Amino acid sequence: MTPEKPDTNWPDGPNAGMSRRNFLRGSAVFASGLAALAASLSPLRELDDRPSVEQFAQKYYKELTPEEMKKVLKRIEDEVEKQYGLRPHVKDLKPEAGVEFVYALNLTRCVGCRKCVHACVGENNQSRTPEIQYIRVLRLPDGSLDLEKADHYYHPEAVPEKGYFYMPVQCQQCKNPPCVKVCPVHATWQEADGITVIDYDWCIGCRYCEAACPYWARRFNFAKPSIPKEGLNLNMAYLGNRPRRRGVMEKCHFCIQRTRAGRYPACVEVCPVGARKFGNVLDANSEVAYILRTKRVFIQLKEELGTSPRFFYYFDV
Amino acid sequence: MNPENNNNRVPAVLFILTVAFLLLAVCFSRRKWMESEPLKAIALVDPELVRPTTMRTSYAQLIRMQADLSDFDCYGCHEQKKAVTLRFDGSNNLVIPKEHSDIVMKHGQHGRNNNCFNCHDDQNLLLLQTRDGRQLKLENCPPLCGSCHGPTYRDWEAGAHGRTGGYWDKAAGELTRQICVDCHNPHSPKIPTRTPLPPPHPLHAAARAAGAEEH
Repeated sequence: MTPEKPDTNWPDGPNAGMSRRNFLRGSAVFASGLAALAASLSPLRELDDRPSVEQFAQKYYKELTPEEMKKVLKRIEDEVEKQYGLRPHVKDLKPEAGVEFVYALNLTRCVGCRKCVHACVGENNQSRTPEIQYIRVLRLPDGSLDLEKADHYYHPEAVPEKGYFYMPVQCQQCKNPPCVKVCPVHATWQEADGITVIDYDWCIGCRYCEAACPYWARRFNFAKPSIPKEGLNLNMAYLGNRPRRRGVMEKCHFCIQRTRAGRYPACVEVCPVGARKFGNVLDANSEVAYILRTKRVFIQLKEELGTSPRFFYYFDV
Repeated sequence: MNPENNNNRVPAVLFILTVAFLLLAVCFSRRKWMESEPLKAIALVDPELVRPTTMRTSYAQLIRMQADLSDFDCYGCHEQKKAVTLRFDGSNNLVIPKEHSDIVMKHGQHGRNNNCFNCHDDQNLLLLQTRDGRQLKLENCPPLCGSCHGPTYRDWEAGAHGRTGGYWDKAAGELTRQICVDCHNPHSPKIPTRTPLPPPHPLHAAARAAGAEEH
């Protein structure tokens, strides 16, 4: 083979470089590929609940100084006002010393009317469509606590029905919470007053906690929550009922915005038969202390799991 | 590989790729097959139904509301100092006079608690009386109820029976308690049944076990 004389116009040889035709071909493919990529990402442009820069850059809840917290609360108030046209009052309430919340529920009294479920939805700004509810009322046949026999879709003409009893289940605020252990980013933790809280700005939506919870107490925002403007509760707390974004977990927090201000949770106030009892168990005069002292407190639900709930079911008699 | 052959194939592949990419671009921007049907709005629950009001309005509540109390003015019809006589039918059931036809006597099992003056004071109809002779105002019934329902009265005093509202923390605000007759009709104290609020939306019920009820 004789070495070919190099073409002066193509220093690396005529085949090594790019002909005009190849260049056009290549750029056509490149441009159409780019267009396809841009188009496939276009739904991102329509995301309207994207985190703002401030939210994205926000520090971890426990590391926020009071001044920074003020700014964060103001940002949340602004965001809610922008979205709903109503200015809420967002607080960051801290646990009080000498307070440990305990819940007691009287299974003899509960009639299964689900008022607690819907009062909770209203109080805690839960999404109406898709539906998110913290409380599930289980209907169980008399004489058994077999949860396999439970139905929470019951809808008779009138309750209570003969032959059944009702057991509402919500976050049990465990002393040994499995959900907290599995959270890879520490977005959920147990506070000094016994409430397990979630920082919605820190949650990455991996749903490990949902899988870890033996009570199915945690709910995930698969879609952007929708709350009617007139149904928005403007008394909000950072770790409580402020509106959530898509892609974060939420659950019962004992109405932190109420209970840390000294009030009863919404479900307690609305229960028409007085089956729900709530209070500070460290206060010997509280009704929950009285109940735990004198009543037949039969379970912490699934107590064999060692989660040690702060939610007690009891019977009269 | 034959370079001649390769050279022929490249334009064909590039052409197909270009067309495919362009098609994808059109599909993505139109989002024809990405579009999901918007969620059907789930019916809202009437906020009136989740108000923390009691089941009935008692005399004590009427006083607080400063409402019309003429219904409780016994001596608007009854004569002062004239004993009220009770009438019983053959099977010892109280015959309720038509002036009081709104009263359903269903207190106690087997109709045994069938004497108005077990609770009302026969000397002064505006008052209640306990069996040990204490006279109580209508709006202060719990000691009377407690004279039969001791354990329940004890639970109520401790806050374990009946409804609580307001503030658990006495330092922060007032605790609201209800008295017996705010929830129980004294003449027919069993709590009536009611229609439950809607269950979780059936969208989520699709995967329910077979044999469960249809809704």
